[in-house]
Amino acid sequence: MTRGGWLKWGSLAAAALVFAGLYVRNLTLPSPGGFAPAPAARAASPAAPLYGAELLPNSTAASVHSAAAAEISGGRLRAFWYGGSREGAADVAIYTSVYSPKEETWSPERAVMTRELAQLQLRRSVRKLGNPVAGRDRAGRLCLFFVSVSVGGWAGSAINLMVSEDEGETWSPPRRLVASPFLNISTLVKGPPLQFADGATGLPVYHEFLGKFGELLRLDAPGHVIRKTRLSWGQSSLQPVIVPRSEAEAVGFMRYAGDPPNRILMIRTSDGGAHWSAPVKTALPNPNAAIASALLADGRVLLAFNNAGENREDLSLAISEDFGDTWRVVRRLEGDPGSPGAPVPEYSYPWIVQDAAGEIHVLYTWGRSRIKHAHFNAAWLEKRR
Amino acid sequence: MSAGDAFGLLGCGLLGLAAVASLIPLRRLPLRSRYAVMLAAALAVFIPFGDLPAAAYLRGVTGDVSVTTLFLAGAACIARFTGRTLIGPRDLRALFWLLAAAALFLYPFALGWTQFDPYALGYGSIYFLTALLLATLAAWRAKLYAVVFIVIAAALAYLAGAYESRNLWDYLIDPLVSVYALVRLLSGLRHRLSGKLTQAAG
Repeated sequence: MTRGGWLKWGSLAAAALVFAGLYVRNLTLPSPGGFAPAPAARAASPAAPLYGAELLPNSTAASVHSAAAAEISGGRLRAFWYGGSREGAADVAIYTSVYSPKEETWSPERAVMTRELAQLQLRRSVRKLGNPVAGRDRAGRLCLFFVSVSVGGWAGSAINLMVSEDEGETWSPPRRLVASPFLNISTLVKGPPLQFADGATGLPVYHEFLGKFGELLRLDAPGHVIRKTRLSWGQSSLQPVIVPRSEAEAVGFMRYAGDPPNRILMIRTSDGGAHWSAPVKTALPNPNAAIASALLADGRVLLAFNNAGENREDLSLAISEDFGDTWRVVRRLEGDPGSPGAPVPEYSYPWIVQDAAGEIHVLYTWGRSRIKHAHFNAAWLEKRR
Repeated sequence: MSAGDAFGLLGCGLLGLAAVASLIPLRRLPLRSRYAVMLAAALAVFIPFGDLPAAAYLRGVTGDVSVTTLFLAGAACIARFTGRTLIGPRDLRALFWLLAAAALFLYPFALGWTQFDPYALGYGSIYFLTALLLATLAAWRAKLYAVVFIVIAAALAYLAGAYESRNLWDYLIDPLVSVYALVRLLSGLRHRLSGKLTQAAG
């Protein structure tokens, strides 16, 4: 056969083989499973209202922000946040601390990830670190996702994942998640990860470059993005939080960054996250600020949000008994007139966890200088003020 | 170092070497000097200064570059070094048109223009695979073997999971090669247009 003949028939044979491989891979992909809602069986919460609050330790950082937390063994809580001389500075690190419910104290904070360590382990330049979020995968490992930026502002962000087999004492090197074809920039996290019945981990993310919109990533066990679904599109929705109620049903909430009226956005799915409704505005205000939500053990949905259209000076809690259709504002955590507040009156970026004992924990940025932890039971939510 | 990291760093390093080879008129230098220049460039790209090598700084900006970019970068290095072209002008023009079409389909939607997200197809879609198969067969029938070779190499890298990404799009295309293709196409069109105008004026 001539050289031209080899080229012609050899390239066709090679193409046939690799496309056969691509089709086999594609046809043998498992179909995605629905949600695996967090176990709802929890200890009965005491009938008497209980409430406590404390500031998390912060011995070095002038500025802290964006707390996240997950329950770990012994009913303890491990929190994460970022702190440094200012938001976006090169000295910003991801910190962690552990809460012991028996002593009602937080351990001294320690850095789990610095910019220098991130760039060494990710083998690429890293300019700054941002939002961490935490949760568990289906294997029970603790997962810490965090934002890093190599070029530009937050629109240049990418997400990284570390896992821990020992409740957060030690961590794997971070792995970069690829979630955008555009230089893999502009993907951020704020909402907690969730689990799918097929073993995948779900991660709500958002993009901020040109468009502002949310997506739900599916990750395999090693942490590769293997599928994704768009939650919204356009230029006005970000920081999705997803609350599954069953294998098929979930409701999601998003921060709104569009034209007034400024309201929290809501989306729904009834097919395990394969398709989502278009975002609709709820009755609750949103001053272009992050929100947190969780399904309580009694089936109600709890939302922590800034109850104002223009600022972050009021942080409140609302309850929905019909899975997001109607809301009742039940408590104000911060912003009561006359009560002592932070030097900078900003209470933002809430995070909600309900632990196995039924206690509800809300962590949030307190005046940009500390992270505050408020913990209470369901009875306190309903106690008359 | 994981295989994905090694592959990503090598890709960005090759991109750096192609940039050096394009900036320096290697063909005017004696063979030994050419080797010396490329060796020095390789050391500059892969040996760490400060915390990281230059390839890692580039990787921070570009992420992992596609197989198409690697192929073009490798071809540029060889052409500058030996004068031998791996990819003819006809193949190159066809590749640029394919890249431009793919980029215009992919990026506006991937950046949130509508609810439709073509990037999600790259995780596993029969429609996407069939479209790619038809484009590859059309390229083969037109004897555009370089295009066929690039698709085969990208598909093999994807099947081997060579990158951090598990999305086939990331193996085929990236913004760098898309912009390069669009610029080369527009500059070709401008030349052709100015040639026609000169003919008409003559």
